[in-house]
Amino acid sequence: MSALNTAMLLALLPELLVLALMGVVLVADLAGWVQGRKLGWLTVVGLAVVLAVSLSVAMPNAAGAAVWGNTLRHDALSFVFRMLFLLAAGLTIFFSMDLPGLGDRGAFYLLLLASVLGMMLMAMANDLIMLFLAMETATIPLYVLAGFFTGRRDSVEAGFKYLLFGALASGVMLYGLSLLYGFSGGAVEFEAVARGLSETAAPRWAVLAALMVVLAGFAFKVAAVPFHFWAPDVYQGAPTPIAAFLSTASKAAGFALLVRVALVAFPGGTMPWWGAALAAMAAATMTLGNLLALTQTDLKRLLAYSSIGHAGYILMGVVAATKLGLTAVVFYLLVYLLTNLAAFGVVTVLERNTGSPAVAHLAGLYKRSPWLTLATLAAFLSLAGVPPFAGFVAKVWVFMAAVEAKLEWLAVVAVLNSIVGIYYYLVVLKVAYEYDPPADAQPLQVSRPVVWALAALAVFVVVAGVAFGPWFGWGQWAAMALFP
Amino acid sequence: MLWQYVPIAILLVLSTALAVLIVLLDALLGPRKPTFRKLSPYESGMVPIGPGMRRQPVRFYLIAMLFLLFDVEVIFLLPWAVTFRKLGLFGLVEMLVFIAILLVGYIYAWKKGALEWE
Amino acid sequence: MVTTFVFVVAAAVLLVAALIAVLKNNLVHAAMGLVVSLFGTAVLFVLLEAYFLAVAQVVIYVGAIAILIVFSIMLTRRVGAQWGNQTNPTWPFALLAAGVLTVLFALMVRGWNPDQALPAAEAVPGDVTARLGAALVNPGGYVVPFEVASVLLLAALIGAVYVAWGGRKAEKSTQR
Repeated sequence: MSALNTAMLLALLPELLVLALMGVVLVADLAGWVQGRKLGWLTVVGLAVVLAVSLSVAMPNAAGAAVWGNTLRHDALSFVFRMLFLLAAGLTIFFSMDLPGLGDRGAFYLLLLASVLGMMLMAMANDLIMLFLAMETATIPLYVLAGFFTGRRDSVEAGFKYLLFGALASGVMLYGLSLLYGFSGGAVEFEAVARGLSETAAPRWAVLAALMVVLAGFAFKVAAVPFHFWAPDVYQGAPTPIAAFLSTASKAAGFALLVRVALVAFPGGTMPWWGAALAAMAAATMTLGNLLALTQTDLKRLLAYSSIGHAGYILMGVVAATKLGLTAVVFYLLVYLLTNLAAFGVVTVLERNTGSPAVAHLAGLYKRSPWLTLATLAAFLSLAGVPPFAGFVAKVWVFMAAVEAKLEWLAVVAVLNSIVGIYYYLVVLKVAYEYDPPADAQPLQVSRPVVWALAALAVFVVVAGVAFGPWFGWGQWAAMALFP
Repeated sequence: MLWQYVPIAILLVLSTALAVLIVLLDALLGPRKPTFRKLSPYESGMVPIGPGMRRQPVRFYLIAMLFLLFDVEVIFLLPWAVTFRKLGLFGLVEMLVFIAILLVGYIYAWKKGALEWE
Repeated sequence: MVTTFVFVVAAAVLLVAALIAVLKNNLVHAAMGLVVSLFGTAVLFVLLEAYFLAVAQVVIYVGAIAILIVFSIMLTRRVGAQWGNQTNPTWPFALLAAGVLTVLFALMVRGWNPDQALPAAEAVPGDVTARLGAALVNPGGYVVPFEVASVLLLAALIGAVYVAWGGRKAEKSTQR
């Protein structure tokens, strides 16, 4: 039996701290020391402490190391994603703190923290067992969170739909993982699985079928075609900050795991059709997502389809399977995560004030709340990929990665899709700027934490678009984990 | 290798046989002289209205859920208990951490009133 | 020989019970069918020498999940009321899809070149359950997944308490 050492504990420090934070919140909630929205502040401060301590103490070197009996990898790639999840959880709490029935419940914070813990482990997972367990830990709390408004039909429906599709997807994925375990001769570590698959006696098509089944699980997690259909319904019914968390952190966690699996366990060369399948999926995802977004009149559904489209762009970087591709994926996810959180933050405010997230309710927003409209502008133009916002830079890098990997056709599809995308994002802005507000319109009430979060996010979207160097540097550092 | 399961098989057969036998013996040997009074559910009192099975309160579900979660914990205890002596102190600590996390959940459920029956 | 006999009996019972679970309109009867089929699966695990899995199957599935399912049925349906059909009008398509998949699987297995047969699972030395126990608490083994499992259970517990109880209770307290 090998002994425990400090390096192992240090590698797992962020997770241990999140677990400790969960304990603190739970005790504070039960004992009644901290109640209602103050629990939100406690959690946010706790997450900030975890983030600060992790950044100062637990930074790995880029190549990293496998720890805890090779079940986890503590490297730049996992570290960047873990910090991102902490950030996303904090921002989600800012948006939900003042929502009655959500931000005043201890269970909300506990479930969110449990989900974040699972996502962080997803980013680190280095074997099939950890992969599945981390994925379940991240997803199961989200089922409850999506249906958190137990008194509202649409929320319960969203939670239930997410649960049913999610359970099916993870069951199917587990079946695929067990097949891979068998084909690779009983290996669970990603590298060992790759080795086992390259010298397996099993026919190619059998291995490929197993891979496709596993891919289905990932496609569900990141909402990629043909396993995207749950996203609009779930986002629409779920509490808006939860929808934000689902479309950003949960998607990023799926990609964090997918890049590791796609680049380490099944490198494109060993399986000829694997890369082609991923490319087809990327093209179908971005096309379908963007086309269906065109007809949406509900802002949450629109953002759901747009997030499906973005999953397609990000998949492009995964397909490229190069150092630039991985860098672009990480950078894109960073930008997308913060931009989309801002967009959903606006929806939270809108829904809280007008009772529904219909695009029509944005009418005359400019005359009612100019600052909020400015944040909307930054978020939506960045999502559309208009310079000088961060989304533009992110798009350029994934397109370049695709071209560099000789996938010009995919890049062309993506550019055409971006043009479609610009249309529906601009329609939203047109309603906000050009249309007249209703006669009795008041300025929208925006709670203090939401103001801060939105302001910070809008500033980031502009700054990261103009001076993308440092943020791109994070992506490059993360990519060094797999491409030294 | 299957011989070690023979006791379980015998037990299964015996219990099934016993259940069948009791019902069968009753049907064969018991004297039967039905009258209207004897066939009514209660000798004195009201004839019950409606079906015998009704919708159960949601509390039962919660109890079953708690049972399931602790059942899973038991399954993890089994392999640990088999080699508990060889695993030493570290094994004990690991299992204590595992149980502590679940115990916290148990206290949570308790404090939230999930175990109260009103 | 004995193994084959036990397998045939267990598989037959499993199949019949599974059909009952799928086809019976009375959900309680269907649940009982499910219990029997889960037990049949446990027998199959024993035949595969996966003793620990067999125990887990009996304790968790036959023991707890079955109870959970029966309770869920009883708290959502009135037994005397209309049960309705378990299947919806699309069942022929499902049957067709299942049939096609079965034929494909059969073709695949037949087409498997015997020379390419997978290596037979190595006989695991020693007591499997004991080895599992050692791996679960070894820092060089599966400690993290093991502890994560307890976090997962904790999260599920909090979620279950909230869904079944928490939301309702808070509503009551705000009404007061």
